[in-house]
Amino acid sequence: MLTFFLIFHNLRKYFYRKPKLENTVLEMSERRIFEHPILDFDRGDEFYFDFEGEKVKAYEGETVASALYADGLRKFTESKKLERPRGFFCAIGKCSSCIMSVDGRPHVRTCVTQAEEGMEVKRHGSKPKFPEVDIGRGKERKEKKIEIAVIGGGPAGLMAAIVSARNGADVHLFDEGDDLGGQLVKQTHQFFGSHEEDAGTRGIEIGKELVEEARDVGVNIHTETKVLGYYEEKKITVEEEGRLTIYDTEGIVYAGGAIENYLSFENNDLPGVYGAGGVQTLMNEEGIVPGDKVLMVGSGNVGVIVSYQLLQAGVDVVEVIEALPEIGGYQVHASKIRRAGVPISTAHTIKKAIGEEKVEGAVVQKIDENWEPVEGTEREVECDVICLAVGLSPDTGFLRQADCEMEYIGELGGYVPLRTEDMMTTRRGIYVAGDAAGIEEATVAALEGKIAGAALFEDLREETEDTRKSKEEAKEGLVPVVLSMRRCADDWGLRPILLNHKKGDLRMSRISILPSSFTKGVNCG
Amino acid sequence: MTTVVCRCEDITEEDIVEAIEKGYDELEKLKRHLRLGMGPCQGKTCLPLARRILGRETGKSVEEMGDPTSRPPSQPVSFSLLASLEESEVDE
Amino acid sequence: MSRYERTGVVKKDDLQIPDEERLEEGPVVVMECVENIPCNPCVEACSFGAVEMEEITDTPDVDFDTCTGCGLCVTECPGLAIFVIDCSYSEEKCVVTVPYEYLSIPDEGDEVMALDKKGEKVEKAEVTSVRKSGKTYAITLEVDKENVWNVRGLEVIE
Repeated sequence: MLTFFLIFHNLRKYFYRKPKLENTVLEMSERRIFEHPILDFDRGDEFYFDFEGEKVKAYEGETVASALYADGLRKFTESKKLERPRGFFCAIGKCSSCIMSVDGRPHVRTCVTQAEEGMEVKRHGSKPKFPEVDIGRGKERKEKKIEIAVIGGGPAGLMAAIVSARNGADVHLFDEGDDLGGQLVKQTHQFFGSHEEDAGTRGIEIGKELVEEARDVGVNIHTETKVLGYYEEKKITVEEEGRLTIYDTEGIVYAGGAIENYLSFENNDLPGVYGAGGVQTLMNEEGIVPGDKVLMVGSGNVGVIVSYQLLQAGVDVVEVIEALPEIGGYQVHASKIRRAGVPISTAHTIKKAIGEEKVEGAVVQKIDENWEPVEGTEREVECDVICLAVGLSPDTGFLRQADCEMEYIGELGGYVPLRTEDMMTTRRGIYVAGDAAGIEEATVAALEGKIAGAALFEDLREETEDTRKSKEEAKEGLVPVVLSMRRCADDWGLRPILLNHKKGDLRMSRISILPSSFTKGVNCG
Repeated sequence: MTTVVCRCEDITEEDIVEAIEKGYDELEKLKRHLRLGMGPCQGKTCLPLARRILGRETGKSVEEMGDPTSRPPSQPVSFSLLASLEESEVDE
Repeated sequence: MSRYERTGVVKKDDLQIPDEERLEEGPVVVMECVENIPCNPCVEACSFGAVEMEEITDTPDVDFDTCTGCGLCVTECPGLAIFVIDCSYSEEKCVVTVPYEYLSIPDEGDEVMALDKKGEKVEKAEVTSVRKSGKTYAITLEVDKENVWNVRGLEVIE
């Protein structure tokens, strides 16, 4: 361990530059990454906004939450009933842990709000005030007819949009973020896979290429839009540029991705307990380190890869714990962080987070083969961030609204829609691809998107040379493993299938850690 | 000692166990009783955890727990946006 | 369960390694990739055709007689699991080439701390070569003969 401390203690000098300007407030030091072995952070102009009467530095393109985090703020709000401190958590606008009052408007999700010069930001705690400004009315509602709506701009959605658009369909792609690429843009590591499928290329680069291709083939890209709901006859409501628009579609590919799993342990809501995806967003997109010492919970591929990325950003990973008796991720990823001196403790769980206003440490504990904590094995780990990499669950709310039939498949991360091998759900014209169809990885998501885009085009128009080939090629790369006996005999061929990349093993999707309270009752793979 | 399951609605593991003991032993019942999953994130974070707790406490399978309905809007939306509907449009 | 599944550290016994004779002949590759991952850039990276794989999920099968130990594959492996060792380097010393993706890049001739598979310090070692491909470096270290199977990483000394 000591070795490890020394390496990073020394390296840290290179990563952090002391704040140049004296008027940065809040007691903490600069958290921005200025040099990185893989990434370049091109920051825009520097400016200041007001946070509770103090000046806070921000760079053009940064969100309010990032700038505040970089300045050392940890407590963003208070929870509404228990009045507990809450921090930044998901970093992608899904949770409500970062809401503040911005220019008099309460309940603003600061992690998806761009910082602007002179902005006035205040914490409003558990009882926000009535808006102090006239928030006006939204613009008039619109209704538009389109052919295909693709929801989600990650690898699955982009691929589906590309295939259907290049065959001549009128395709609209909706994504919440200001950049497309989904989780690919956070992936700084080289991908596995075959040479032809971009192996060895970093996710971040694959994402950029897909976005460019989508633009080239004429996909109508709608960024910073929120898909609010599904209504009869394949209508979707979208919030876009302050306006509610109803898109009347002929076909939909839903590629809404996944949600990070949360874990129950004492004080699990303290600022400093973050999801692995949130840490990646902060670190690899915003260029801000989450803390000094990280305890990683979960040794699946996400856990070990994010640990490696933390090391690359100059952050000390003090330990990786794993509830299973063996490491969940690939040996090569685990070996990488072991070589940097990071210990991995299997058959361990987290008992509690220590701290009042933010994480100041954690207590970890051994568990036995029945997932029961072993008395007397508790020990304290010094850390200021607890990173949860305990699996993902498919984000399927939209599909439920559309009445697509679902089934719970533990191996796929939870409830997933039944679908054909062409990725069509039980509702004609509604297709699914990517993590929303079951937790896999980026290559599988892209291949599923390819199938869905081609199949939907054929459904609405006709089979073309390209759709036939796209489907064929994508299916060649995937091996369907039927996981549900319930629907196997169904004439429609509707079933949840785990599409393994080639004959890859099941580790890709394995939930890497189960809480100490893991149960007998849940049928969870 | 606090273990939070639903961050949006501040529902703890203790609250859920207590509710299960009172007989709210399905997800839909827990939702209606505690507002579990009815906050801004719409159950995205808490439902998988709640399923585990329910399984542990009752021995029920996932199918027996039921699955709460999903309704629009899937994300927080401001009143000003909904207020944009002109009266004439509402009648349509 | 194999030991490495619990520790993340592979042992010599887990690996396909060249025989003593080949080791004495000169530089040769050591692939510390023991699981069935769907991945094959190492096959493509080799200009000599020394790496074979029937199925993409097979572990790489190296023909050590064809392998020249050139090290082109070191920077191409997404798992950073490929190393080159040269036991013929000198009487007392061997060289080990390791992949490296951290900041603080050493220069040729620098003295760095050689680390083992657990990140523990092994010995001070001289850097004999630094090569870059993409964003990944392949750094070659001169180490004691007895450490050739231990050294798999490095730390820059300030």
